[in-house]
Amino acid sequence: MANTHPRKGKVKVTRFRDTWLNSLRITTIRIVVQAVIFGLFLSFILLTTFANLDRLPGLKAWVSKILEVDPLVAIATAITTHTVYKGLLWSLVILIPTLFLGRFFCNWVCPYGTLHQFVGWLFRKLKPRDTIEINRYYKFQHVKFYVLTAMLIAAVFGTLQIGLLDPICLIYRSFTGAIIPAANMPAQEIFGDYKLHQGAWLIGFVIFGLVAMNLMIPRFFCRVLCPLGALLGVLSRFAWWRIERDPDKCTDCDLCLMNCEGASDPHTQLRMSECFVCFNCIEDCPEDALSFAFLPPKEHEVPHTDIPRRRAVLAAIIGVLFFPFVRASGRSTRDFSAGMIRPPGSVEELEFLERCIKCDQCIRVCPTNVLQPALFEGGLEGLWTPIMNFRMGHCQLNCTACGQVCPTGAIQRVSVEEKLGIGDYVDQGPIILGTAHFDTGRCLPYSKNIPCVVCEEVCPTSPKAIHAEREMRIVRDGKKMVVSSTENTLQLSEWPEPGQKVGTPALFNINQWQGDETTKYFVSVKHQDGLTETRRIAGNDVDTLKIDGRFARQPEVGTAVIIQLEFKIPRIDTSLCIGCGICEKECPVVGDRRAVYVTAEGETRSQHYRQPDRNRSLRLMKIASSGTGASSRSGSSACGTGGGCGSKGVEHKIDLRKFLA
Amino acid sequence: MTDHTVTRREFLKRGTGAVIVAGAAAAGGYLLYDPEGDAGLYHPSEADLRLRNYFADIDWPASNPRISIATGGEDRIDQMVKAAVGGLDPSQGIGRLIGKKDVVLIKPNVGFDRAPRLGATTNPEVLRWVIRLCKEAGAEKIVVADNPIEAPDACFAKSRTREVAQAEGARVILPSKIHFETLVIRDRQPDPQNREALGRWPIFHRPLVEATKVIGLAPIKDHNLCSASMNMKNWYGLLGGRRNQFHQAIHDIVSDLGMMMSPTLVIADGTRVMMKNGPTGGRASDVKAGGEIGRPTIVASVDQVACDAWCYQHLLGRDPAKLAYLDLAKKKIGEQIAQGTKRFGESNWKEYQTQGKIVTTKV
Repeated sequence: MANTHPRKGKVKVTRFRDTWLNSLRITTIRIVVQAVIFGLFLSFILLTTFANLDRLPGLKAWVSKILEVDPLVAIATAITTHTVYKGLLWSLVILIPTLFLGRFFCNWVCPYGTLHQFVGWLFRKLKPRDTIEINRYYKFQHVKFYVLTAMLIAAVFGTLQIGLLDPICLIYRSFTGAIIPAANMPAQEIFGDYKLHQGAWLIGFVIFGLVAMNLMIPRFFCRVLCPLGALLGVLSRFAWWRIERDPDKCTDCDLCLMNCEGASDPHTQLRMSECFVCFNCIEDCPEDALSFAFLPPKEHEVPHTDIPRRRAVLAAIIGVLFFPFVRASGRSTRDFSAGMIRPPGSVEELEFLERCIKCDQCIRVCPTNVLQPALFEGGLEGLWTPIMNFRMGHCQLNCTACGQVCPTGAIQRVSVEEKLGIGDYVDQGPIILGTAHFDTGRCLPYSKNIPCVVCEEVCPTSPKAIHAEREMRIVRDGKKMVVSSTENTLQLSEWPEPGQKVGTPALFNINQWQGDETTKYFVSVKHQDGLTETRRIAGNDVDTLKIDGRFARQPEVGTAVIIQLEFKIPRIDTSLCIGCGICEKECPVVGDRRAVYVTAEGETRSQHYRQPDRNRSLRLMKIASSGTGASSRSGSSACGTGGGCGSKGVEHKIDLRKFLA
Repeated sequence: MTDHTVTRREFLKRGTGAVIVAGAAAAGGYLLYDPEGDAGLYHPSEADLRLRNYFADIDWPASNPRISIATGGEDRIDQMVKAAVGGLDPSQGIGRLIGKKDVVLIKPNVGFDRAPRLGATTNPEVLRWVIRLCKEAGAEKIVVADNPIEAPDACFAKSRTREVAQAEGARVILPSKIHFETLVIRDRQPDPQNREALGRWPIFHRPLVEATKVIGLAPIKDHNLCSASMNMKNWYGLLGGRRNQFHQAIHDIVSDLGMMMSPTLVIADGTRVMMKNGPTGGRASDVKAGGEIGRPTIVASVDQVACDAWCYQHLLGRDPAKLAYLDLAKKKIGEQIAQGTKRFGESNWKEYQTQGKIVTTKV
């Protein structure tokens, strides 16, 4: 791409001179390799959908492969977790050749590098003199080593931040969060609905800004910011092969800088930590002075990174301080956010922060769009890690796709059986993501006397965690006085408030109290001797109620009656709730906040911070009422819907009061 | 100061340019001028899209049975489907309803991400044999579509609906925002006092565009709100928008759905009846093969109200007189017929129950 010289057929790389490849330029081969790997990246990320993994289960081993070969991911997670998770061993495929060939990854493999190079080739048009100047080595290229140092030191303390700038994580995240939805938006006809992601604008602007920098400084990100490039640059010092300049042939024309991708000074002593092994300089040299040579003279190279020691120490100090600064905010421990709910199979929060590389593959694969890149819900540390937003979607019961594609085990590869606590996992119980709560001031039946219970309908556990109980409510101004009565009608007047005239006729709409299947109206009469009779109202005219059935005793004139309605009120059995959030998603109170919502209360993964808290608040009820915590789940699932669970709820409340006293 | 003259050509060029831009700006301003300030506000579509009547073309002999029931076993679903549908018309069978060149939309219930054995979705084997039956009748194309509550991909996969439909050569259409159109269900605003719910509403219209016949294929399930989810409730899967708001008036909406959709045929899947914890279920113990009948059952009917009543009574073992949406549907469909719409005549469901218009086949 960068090599635009029209010369043909001239191969100057000694290694290939005598092969069939001598009609091919090595830069052409490189471009083909780059295109193929970029194509693979694009195919993998586009194939990362629930439907595809369901159709072709073998795919899940491949869709995150480019993340798995990233040595920085493997090394940084090895620092935080002291392990190399599953597929991350694949990173040796990149790491070992780097020790012999230098930073070939940056210009042969990295899809993000390819994107930068392509955009620069397409849009950057500078004068040749300016191009040569901008492609010289500059001290600001040190920055990437400081970034790497700070991130790895922070990793030692247990906060993994490489994902912010690791190029593979960054390009995966950008495609998932912004680019694919943006491309999908006009192409809905072909690909179906596009996904929504909170903060998509931020993810989009970051990649746009970084890529646009190519117009001023070629490969700005790769040269200046990339921590993976820095790591590979450090490893390059041992390389056996490198670009070698023959000082006898060189005329110091500086044409080798015309297309130098890494700004590695091939015109003088080669900076091994900066060279991307793109071979453009060899192609561009008019004197055949450059070659890719085996163990050339040491004095022709700068093998080390050449960063000032004091600045390196300062970078390390930033890394040291980063950890206490972010942890001291308490966001991942005591002051966790109500909105931070991790996907099913996620490890405990502090361990999660040791593992998640913010690649957002889980968000890409999620079939319901519930997974979202966090902003600051989990503090600064948790930026762009996956959280659940139940306004966007819900956690699909039979789906564990997020864990299947997670390259680092932040979300474990749990099976559906393990997630639901069935089969071999009955004793362990289901994975609980959180607990649903009612906002009773917003809930239609709770506060507005409007029948609803959609939450009960969609609740997927069996028996349902959300169940409904019938409840009687006195209607507004429901107290009336009997004016006259027959055995099945009551003529009523308003109940006189102090200072009001006695006998103001009641004024109803016709059949106002007739009710239907979901809302039933009743009238209660309190006889003089204290006996109360309640009957369903069959209908009414302006001031007279028609009763379904008849009263045992005819109410006397002047007796007080109250009109009540009876309908279903939803309740939550916390021992059954798994926090899937479908109740919140489907709640018809949609204006701003839902009337039922899920928080991470009681989530299974929290061993140190959250679960004891749920034990104190919600879990306690279960433990106190059923003896042991372990057997309580099976115990409570024997409880049927409706009345049985309701009476149990009363016992729970009493236990809680005891505890509080 | 230098001596400078403007050529006539230059003057004309610039002058013309300025006049053209000024003219365009003035014309644009005039054309787009909104003196009241409300012309740019959103106006609901005035398009008059309506659902077709998929029973209108059928020549149905008055002597034919209204409901045809086949009982059998899980291993004989093919025969049960044939017997149930065939029982409706002894002379022509399915050929009475589906002809050559017909594009048939089969609407199963794929509402949830559940395995088939849990009975929350239409039994895929029943779907398979219904598709084959339509193909035998000569249907040109068969479409299977539903708008599930959970993620469509996952629901169609887990319920095995997609697998079976595609294996049988039917086209599966999953919902996407652009597949919805606002349709006129009722010409006026719905009147809640009159137990009405739908006026204009977004409908999953894409699969209906080319369909000439519609078959409802609903599993029989318990339902926490309306007591039972059967043939009429199955049309819920064609609604878009914030459809869950209707749950506040569930009987109104279910009966409106019965009025809205005049299907060619409904087939009730009583192979795995969800007896409790509906409509989601989730445990094998929530499901009973054939419900109260005790043997897997398939019911075919051209009268969805009567079919619902029969299934409610015999499969779920409950009293249809207490199921409010049946009577509401009877009233609403009756009004349609009074206005001259050709419907099968679902308004008389109680009479069919007693007039011996039911055939039963044991397979």
